[in-house]
Amino acid sequence: MKVPDSAVEISGDTLTIHLVDVPVVDAFSFPPPLPPAPENGISPVTLIPSRLSFDITYTKSGSSRVIRPATRDPLSPLNWGGEMWDASNSGSFSLTYKDGSFSASGSFSSQGNFGEMGTAHNGVFVDPDELSASNAGPGASSGAQVNATSQLAGKTGKTVLLKGHVPVKINDQ
Amino acid sequence: MRVVPMRISLLLLFLLFALITPLQAQIDPIPNLTIQPIPIRGGDIIPPYGLFNQFFPGPPNQTPPFYPANSDPNGIGNFRGVAAMGYTFGSATDNHGNPYGVVTDIRVYQGEYVGGETASANSGGATKSAPSRGTFVEI
Repeated sequence: MKVPDSAVEISGDTLTIHLVDVPVVDAFSFPPPLPPAPENGISPVTLIPSRLSFDITYTKSGSSRVIRPATRDPLSPLNWGGEMWDASNSGSFSLTYKDGSFSASGSFSSQGNFGEMGTAHNGVFVDPDELSASNAGPGASSGAQVNATSQLAGKTGKTVLLKGHVPVKINDQ
Repeated sequence: MRVVPMRISLLLLFLLFALITPLQAQIDPIPNLTIQPIPIRGGDIIPPYGLFNQFFPGPPNQTPPFYPANSDPNGIGNFRGVAAMGYTFGSATDNHGNPYGVVTDIRVYQGEYVGGETASANSGGATKSAPSRGTFVEI
């Protein structure tokens, strides 16, 4: 959903989001199955109008990972670039069905689960010159590139593109 | 803590919120938004639904497996800006005092994007690329 820019505040190592009474829907199953007959008189694809409020704080930590596109495959999860940090997050929420039949409130935290934050770009914002030199083959398979990029995870460095499109990795130290 | 089986378990409720939103993005437009964001092109094929336009980055050797940690966290394609995401666990209580477990995957995007807008009032709904910016949340 689109939210006001003012709902998000970014300061230092934290990103906070505060939303009140956002219209959302509840569903009873995922993915919504193709029809057949509903059970118990309730369609499995019924979406129940609800209102949700929450506050969440994301906090980045450690060193950044510079991510460079590893493939030109438009469907690949590795066709993007950015600079990301590991991040924890925690928050609280309240939820109310529009008809008032159900409501709940609670809290949550990452508890060591994966999270990240940073800057990212994909699609038309990916410069073909960003493509990793080791994966420059236009027809290279995304599977091989997944492995190649996985090896880069967790490494920190600043990547600079020089004229002639030769990628050079410069360690921070 | 007791996790109440569905009727409506928040354990799934929040997970569903997290996962339904991208589905809606494919099915329904965002009301009153002139330039619609376009989902990323890849994702999971989930029978019988079809292609679900989202990646789930995470650590290796998990069950079920995540995508590689360096996978695109964005649900929006043609995007450039700030992104934040993370998986969480928690607890909740409903209006009848029942306790629930909560699982979330809430993602925030703020920045510019190239989406789709109506090409012409007489086009029958055809779209053309258009730049815009905004803040989006997947819950």
